[in-house]
Amino acid sequence: MELAFYLSALMAVLATLGVMTNPNPVHAVLYLVVSLLAVALVFFALGAPFAGALEIIVYAGAIMVLFVFVVMMLNLGQATVDQERQWLQPRTWLGPSVLATVLLLTLVSLLWRGDIQAVIEGGGLTARGVGTLLYGPWLLLVELGALLLLAALVTASHVGRIGKVAAPSPAPRDLPTGASTPANGQAHQPSTNGVAGEDV
Amino acid sequence: MPLPKLAVAYLPLILVGATAITLMLGIAWRRQHHVTVAVSVMGLGLALAAQIMAWRVVPLTTPLLAFDGPAMLGGILVLASTLACAVLAHAYFETFQNAREEFYLLLLCSAAGGLVLVASRHLASLFLGLELLSMPLYGMLAYAFHERRSLEAGIKYLILSAAASAFLLFGMALLYAQTGELELSALMASMVRGSGAWGLAGAGLMLAGLGFKLSVVPFHLWTPDVYEGGPGPAATFLATASKVAVFILMLRLVLSAPAFQGEWLHAVLWVLALASMLVGNLLALTQSNLKRLLGYSSIAHFGYMLLVLVVADGLAAETGGVYLITYVPATLAAFGVVILVSSATEGRDAGALHYYRGLFWRRPYLTAVMTIAMLSLAGIPATAGFIGKFYLIALGVEAHQWWLVVGIIAGSAISLYYYLRVIVTLFLAEPGMYRRDASPDWAARAAGLVVLGAAVLVIMLGLYPAPMIALAHAAGGVIAP
Repeated sequence: MELAFYLSALMAVLATLGVMTNPNPVHAVLYLVVSLLAVALVFFALGAPFAGALEIIVYAGAIMVLFVFVVMMLNLGQATVDQERQWLQPRTWLGPSVLATVLLLTLVSLLWRGDIQAVIEGGGLTARGVGTLLYGPWLLLVELGALLLLAALVTASHVGRIGKVAAPSPAPRDLPTGASTPANGQAHQPSTNGVAGEDV
Repeated sequence: MPLPKLAVAYLPLILVGATAITLMLGIAWRRQHHVTVAVSVMGLGLALAAQIMAWRVVPLTTPLLAFDGPAMLGGILVLASTLACAVLAHAYFETFQNAREEFYLLLLCSAAGGLVLVASRHLASLFLGLELLSMPLYGMLAYAFHERRSLEAGIKYLILSAAASAFLLFGMALLYAQTGELELSALMASMVRGSGAWGLAGAGLMLAGLGFKLSVVPFHLWTPDVYEGGPGPAATFLATASKVAVFILMLRLVLSAPAFQGEWLHAVLWVLALASMLVGNLLALTQSNLKRLLGYSSIAHFGYMLLVLVVADGLAAETGGVYLITYVPATLAAFGVVILVSSATEGRDAGALHYYRGLFWRRPYLTAVMTIAMLSLAGIPATAGFIGKFYLIALGVEAHQWWLVVGIIAGSAISLYYYLRVIVTLFLAEPGMYRRDASPDWAARAAGLVVLGAAVLVIMLGLYPAPMIALAHAAGGVIAP
């Protein structure tokens, strides 16, 4: 079990390095998925199957789905097909595949050795344990999390709004300096004459 | 523990949350700016009253939150400044063309985060409180997003704040790995027994994360840009409620385990304090934008306040309380004047100092408010700021922190220059050009009353500080384990 932990942790680090060093975002996402899977295996090795499952469902799953959606929406014809064919070069998928294979081997060898609970020291963290903790003493945190998500949602919906926006009045700073703005009817725009060194 | 007592302690948080939900439902039903403001002001007022009522049940602890003196004082300050921000936002967004109501929803969510943060005694509630405090601020800062500066401020704060949260989380992970504890007092206790290298690294990372939110000096670079770009009420909230909450949290951290004041943390806080005092004040010297100037001045003020964390015994909690109480109304008054002169529809906020040239000849009372705020921030006698500085220097002298006392005095001397420069600008002869101005009936409006009230409070606390000192003393006296 310790070997599995260290091996998958190493895979996570390597895959994350792959994410950071890869100039192409699509390739980086491939590494990211491997990295998340490796972290999930770390959770399994630590005896937290629930967290591991969540990691796969929420992160790897959600990111995969989003990725697929984006590809679907951006699918723009022959050029994209060519591009995708070009992306499917072995050197693109070889790295993530090797890392994922190591993870798979680790997982298989773990399963081969038998009952997980017997190998992990200490009690496992089950879904039941997480649930009783969250909806028992930590109920407040769940509520706060809900409020946090509400705020995030409201922020996103407000900033993403393309409503009836008043034409943004040109900021005084953005006008060319000097006497170029005489009598343009903007009563509230101060002239920038003689304002030196504003906003150092 | 009896439920009613707990219910009383939770009541302010529940009221703020309920008001936020009410606002959300109201917005979904029908948009009414005035009604929204009225509901949020009423909710915040009730929460403030409940917070004052909650004094009677301290100290009270739950696994996640500790309702003790600092938490009560912090809650009162957070709620009062949120209330002021809501009223100021009403004036600011009155003619705003886009949706205006969400701002108050975000403000209330953020206030709830502040309430949790000041009372948190567990790493989980600390983190969620801090996130709930900062997350709505992204939206508030970017609220006038068709204004490039506002959007820039929001994105800047979003990215840097996320980085700071990552630091904080990683520090928490290291601390947990070292000690196996998530509760702050237990964590501190096991750190005292022997903090290994990982524990030190964890505490250092947490300090970096919290230092970012307080904008003490190595982590201060975002402050002036965000203050300048963000809409006035959001910047006001950032400068008052947000900083107060984080400071109270740090106060609890260092006070809950005095033995934690080991060599290195002491040294780090000492360096941060001195650097913030000097750098904040020196950088403020060259500013010609009032909002940026206030940003740098808040860096310096929290540098002064770090002295409290360095000393962390005896009068420390009381001093921290007094300084916070003196800092909040002065900052509210200064930002309030900026907000009254600005408006969300007129492009960028009226930050540049030249807008205020000769304000005295047009708006004498508004000028008086600004003058009082500047004098208080500078620490001139007969204003509240003097009492705060007096306490700080007394604390420093008593604890033999000579260098920090020298830093405070030198910083105050430097700060006099730029505060007085603002005052001089207000009284200069009017230039001939057209400029921005507060609406003629500003004093008859709610926002004007808030600004006037803050200024009166500054003077009153400066002349008769006994109630404030009693409040801070009571807050410092009851600290939950």
